[in-house]
Amino acid sequence: MPNIKIFSGSSHPDLSQKIADRLGLELGKVVTKKFSNQETCVEIGESVRGEDVYIVQSGCGEINDNLMELLIMINACKIASASRVTAVIPCFPYARQDKKDKGFFDIPVDNLYAEPAVLKWIKENIPEWKNCIIVSPDAGGAKRVTSIADRLNVDFALIHKERKKANEVDLDDMADTCGTICHATPGHIQLISAGATKVYAILTHGIFSGPAISRINNACFEAVVVTNTIPQEEKMKHCPKIQVIDISMILAEAIRRTHNGESVSYLFSHVPL
Amino acid sequence: MPIRRFGGHRSLVSHSQPSKLSYGYTKMNVSRSGYRVFSANSTTACTELAKKITERLGVELGKSVVYQESNTETRVDVKESVRGQDIFIIQTIPRDVNTAIMELLVMAYALKTSCAKNIIGVIPYFPYSKQCKMRKRGSIVCKLLSSMLAKAGLTHIITMDLHQKEIQGFFSFPVDNLRASPFLIQYIQEEIPDYRNAIIVAKSPSAAKRAQSYAERLRLGLAVMHGEAHHSESDMADGRHSPPLSRTTTGHTGLELPLMMAKEKPPITVVGDVGGRIAIIVDDIIDDVEDFVAAADILKERGAYKIYIMATHGLLSAEAPRLIEESAIDEVVVTNTVPHEVQKLQCPKIKTVDVSMILAEAIRRIHNGESMAYLFRNIAVDD
Repeated sequence: MPNIKIFSGSSHPDLSQKIADRLGLELGKVVTKKFSNQETCVEIGESVRGEDVYIVQSGCGEINDNLMELLIMINACKIASASRVTAVIPCFPYARQDKKDKGFFDIPVDNLYAEPAVLKWIKENIPEWKNCIIVSPDAGGAKRVTSIADRLNVDFALIHKERKKANEVDLDDMADTCGTICHATPGHIQLISAGATKVYAILTHGIFSGPAISRINNACFEAVVVTNTIPQEEKMKHCPKIQVIDISMILAEAIRRTHNGESVSYLFSHVPL
Repeated sequence: MPIRRFGGHRSLVSHSQPSKLSYGYTKMNVSRSGYRVFSANSTTACTELAKKITERLGVELGKSVVYQESNTETRVDVKESVRGQDIFIIQTIPRDVNTAIMELLVMAYALKTSCAKNIIGVIPYFPYSKQCKMRKRGSIVCKLLSSMLAKAGLTHIITMDLHQKEIQGFFSFPVDNLRASPFLIQYIQEEIPDYRNAIIVAKSPSAAKRAQSYAERLRLGLAVMHGEAHHSESDMADGRHSPPLSRTTTGHTGLELPLMMAKEKPPITVVGDVGGRIAIIVDDIIDDVEDFVAAADILKERGAYKIYIMATHGLLSAEAPRLIEESAIDEVVVTNTVPHEVQKLQCPKIKTVDVSMILAEAIRRIHNGESMAYLFRNIAVDD
């Protein structure tokens, strides 16, 4: 594809490489380093004059450092006369779940959904998914949960913290969906006591900070499934229950469609191959 | 108003006369809105300077909580009302530069949305000031930072000894660039016995102007060092060729532009006589000390019997304390704009000069709408 360049920040080089591979491109040359006084320094290694530039940087790890690196890289591309600069931020830092909306930005925002990839994973990896219940850990996630439940044609449930009885449903398998969790909720233990045979936790962004990993290991999850918006290699070594859904094809397709001026809304309900 | 002099007095405002400190405060605060001083740092080492400044001003540090969450996102909570007040945010920049910047931005924005009247950032050492020029395909981070600060809600900045004075032009709001030189000059006069036998040395030609202004005020001689042992990063200017060099020159039509000659630097030489004198190297930032150590070695060879380094901002990164300890340098004198307690423990040659007085005075004058010209008298154009 002419006139397109993809650069990777230092937060998630693995995902950036996957995206570039899917698009059949090489990642652009960029040198990111820190001086001895910890100031970030970015130098773009090739010409971006007149190019459509995409910078892939996820809000994970050292968030402030990665954020600053992203800003400096965007600034460098603009000064170097790039025709358009787009930031691809799989996990957006400093955002509550419902505040990623267009209203907060002055520039175009495409908020993609992991839902189609999650649905695909459920159908392929959970045997007897037709008999499962989708559970939301709190009232706020109800909308997301009902959307998945409708598409799978299964029932859904809510965990309400005040009630002692977890829920009134008899279940075989279960999948639990939430946006981002930083620590495992004790509600899952109640689900087992309410009669669930297996509990899966499915999350888009697996941040797993603090004691999350040890809590998951001690808890009774069958599996904790996350997407690769945040690098999970290290965490998977410590916790065998973590499985990863690759979403690089969604991002790659979004980049391709944006570059070609095509509609991105196809991605809201389909997973590209 | 009583005449206050920099040189001869220990402190601008004497602590034994508390009534002088509060003179004019109660009068001013009745007619003007109040002011609060906050610190946006999350570590205690960094809030030391803020505490000193608030002590001198006779106010309490504003109540706020700044911390990092477990996923390293910064959280700022302002615990008191700031509506309609002048707010001063004191931010020192420790090793973790990007987090400190984020803390400042988040606090500034929180105060802006809480209807503070003016938000003045007191940032003694301004970060990324060395990245103020275009280097190949880099970013002018200083300009980016100034845009971010303006967007976050700052309306004014007080800083000290900016690396390049032209950085003031990046900002869309007023910048007060205070000077540490009166304090360092006072230190030289009081703490270096025999200072009249000293000579001020510039480590490289770019520091010559600053060194000259010190030399004039102390009535001492000047020496300039030139040449380098290795290629210095900070001198790398925009090295791009325009049009781009083609690997195979296949009879290109167009102008035959002469290629830029690569700069060849001779080995280090000293212009000026340092034999039998105390050498005082003067600079604004001391960070990577390899250049300073090399300069000290050369000066020792040329006959200097004592070597001092005076710098405003003591970043002293990485191996600096160890290298200084092992070198020919006798003392490194820095101000407390950048926290360096850890480095001081490792290297007793490092001494600190307290500049909280001038920062407190600047805060007081800005809040009261008084002239700042007094703080800049006796400052040369080139300092």
